[in-house]
Amino acid sequence: MPTSESYLILATIMFGCGVFGVLFRKNLILVMMSIELMLNAVNLVFVSATQTLGNVDGQVMVFFVITVAACEAAVGLAMVIALYRKYGTIDTDFLRVLRG
Amino acid sequence: MGLDLQQIQAFLDNEFAVQLIATAIKFAVVFAICIQVPPIMIWVERRAPALMQRRKGPNRVGFFKLRLWGLLQSAADAVKLILKEEIVPRGANKIFFQIAPIFGVIPALLIACAIPYGNDFQLFGYNIPLSIVNVDVGFLFILAVSSLGIYGITIAGWASNNKYSLLGSLRASAQMISYEIPLGMSLIPIVLIYGTLDLNQIVIGQSNLWNWGIITSPISFMIFFVCMFAETNRAPFDLAESEAELVAGFHTEYGSAKFALIFLTEYVVMFILSCLASTVFFGGWQIPFVPHDTLMQLIGGLHIPVLPYLLDLVGWGAPFLSLSLQEMGVHSLIASLIGVAVLFIKAGFFMWMYVWVRWTLPRFRYDQLMSLGWKFMLPVGLANIFVTAIIVAILNFK
Amino acid sequence: MTQLHLFYVFAALVTFCSVMVVGSRNPVTSAVFLVFDLFLLAGIYAMMEAHFVAAIQVLVYAGAIVVLFVFVIMLLNLEQESHGKVRVSIPDIVMMGITGLSFVIIAFLVARVPSMATVGEMTPEAIAAAGGNTYVVGMVLFTKYLWPFELASILILLAMVASIVIAKKDKAAKPGRRRTVNANQ
Repeated sequence: MPTSESYLILATIMFGCGVFGVLFRKNLILVMMSIELMLNAVNLVFVSATQTLGNVDGQVMVFFVITVAACEAAVGLAMVIALYRKYGTIDTDFLRVLRG
Repeated sequence: MGLDLQQIQAFLDNEFAVQLIATAIKFAVVFAICIQVPPIMIWVERRAPALMQRRKGPNRVGFFKLRLWGLLQSAADAVKLILKEEIVPRGANKIFFQIAPIFGVIPALLIACAIPYGNDFQLFGYNIPLSIVNVDVGFLFILAVSSLGIYGITIAGWASNNKYSLLGSLRASAQMISYEIPLGMSLIPIVLIYGTLDLNQIVIGQSNLWNWGIITSPISFMIFFVCMFAETNRAPFDLAESEAELVAGFHTEYGSAKFALIFLTEYVVMFILSCLASTVFFGGWQIPFVPHDTLMQLIGGLHIPVLPYLLDLVGWGAPFLSLSLQEMGVHSLIASLIGVAVLFIKAGFFMWMYVWVRWTLPRFRYDQLMSLGWKFMLPVGLANIFVTAIIVAILNFK
Repeated sequence: MTQLHLFYVFAALVTFCSVMVVGSRNPVTSAVFLVFDLFLLAGIYAMMEAHFVAAIQVLVYAGAIVVLFVFVIMLLNLEQESHGKVRVSIPDIVMMGITGLSFVIIAFLVARVPSMATVGEMTPEAIAAAGGNTYVVGMVLFTKYLWPFELASILILLAMVASIVIAKKDKAAKPGRRRTVNANQ
């Protein structure tokens, strides 16, 4: 039986990969994939907490996280398509209308 | 004989080892059956339209006087496909082009693990289920893994670097996502009625002809039946490979063994969905009007001393010669195997329906397909869930 | 092969796939590794006896969300990023540092939770006795979390309407309006 710490370490690695992708990748779709990666790291912590704490609320939370992730992906990808139609690119370096 | 009876006894006492061996045997048999489905189906798919169109179809391949109604044509085709040269188009993404067919076939074979092919049987004092993995969320497992089958088609079309392939794969992915929703919704009333996600429990719940899924929830069956064709990209929904517009759709660039793998995937998914349809709506391995317990009693009382005679030849069978099947402890195994045969007959009917529909109905237009999925199947599926839930709640009201 | 060894195999594969998701240049490769990642995570959930979550993970995440990603990548035909150089600016590094620091703090706090918190009664044995993982999760979902569940369905409806409105072709747009940004800018 793996310890709860090993799950946390795995989740940390995944979350770190996600943060790296959001900060350094320039393709908007890859940024969104990195966000999915981070959400999954959180899900892993929830499910492992279910096991260590003897409480199934964590699994219900995962259900909600997946719901929100699906909504986020649908709306986000719609925005990506709209951006591509307008500017012909989805490179975050060029999408600086707000001077960010 | 080199085998020691005590050794065998010691082996049989180890439950893990027995279950492991049983699982390995089940794996091998299911894999062998899945591999055998495409050649037979290709033969049916050539001979059946020939029958409908009053011509003969391929019936010449064979050796000496052995023709077998052209059944060997499929074997010849398989050999031809495997021996051909592997060609990768110049502009294609080499890695994804090679592994896309594998992406397709893995989910197809994984779903095959969750179907209950027969009832659990007792052998050597152990309860051995006749599905390979016996997950308590069998339903969700099948839906989940079958949704992974999209990747094989999508990536195959994208990696070919061909506009027809890309269009075909875009169509296929949009179509399969759209029809997965009504497919899932058509199964929810069944879960509500039988109160379990375990497929074997659902089959046990359909012990009588009046309890079959098609009687208790006919609208579900209609939705499921249409979605079966859409999910496998078969006619009349074969827009992903419509020859007239897209050459051959997502597998335009494929040849040789990779094409064989794509074909294998398509027919295995058809077979598994046929098994699922008969499991959920047509009583699975149950024989109508013959409950499983009655069948077990009938078989248990029989004296068929073939196996003891064979064992007697090597000097072991003498104590078994006068026993009935029940006293030998194999009656539940034989009853379960009869159940497997019954399931395969029911699934064979659906396989025939696939061929029949393909050679009867013309292809849909793409917007018709989408509006059928989203504007008709989805609302009907939702209404079906709602009505079924109310009826189930009233019937269970205490 | 004990469960621990199996977990190590899965964890190593998850780590590799996560690195490949953010590290590969081709978006389709990233998407494929994301699917592997999600599938392996479902395997880890299944090892933790969370069968329902594992099935939902594959059904919704791997089977629907990532398919959408792949679909959009193909629709826009995004082969490569415009230029592959990773440009590191000072704000990025500061943000990375803050994120890392706060993450370490949170990780320490979370790691202490099991020793501090009261352990509930839903041990694996209790779940099996109560009718299986799916039954228990369903009971909690439809009693304690009924209102969040209803809110989630409204959220999905909103997302559906929003994505249709956003992605709909602007009928008023004139043909020449689409503007391509110069890559040398």
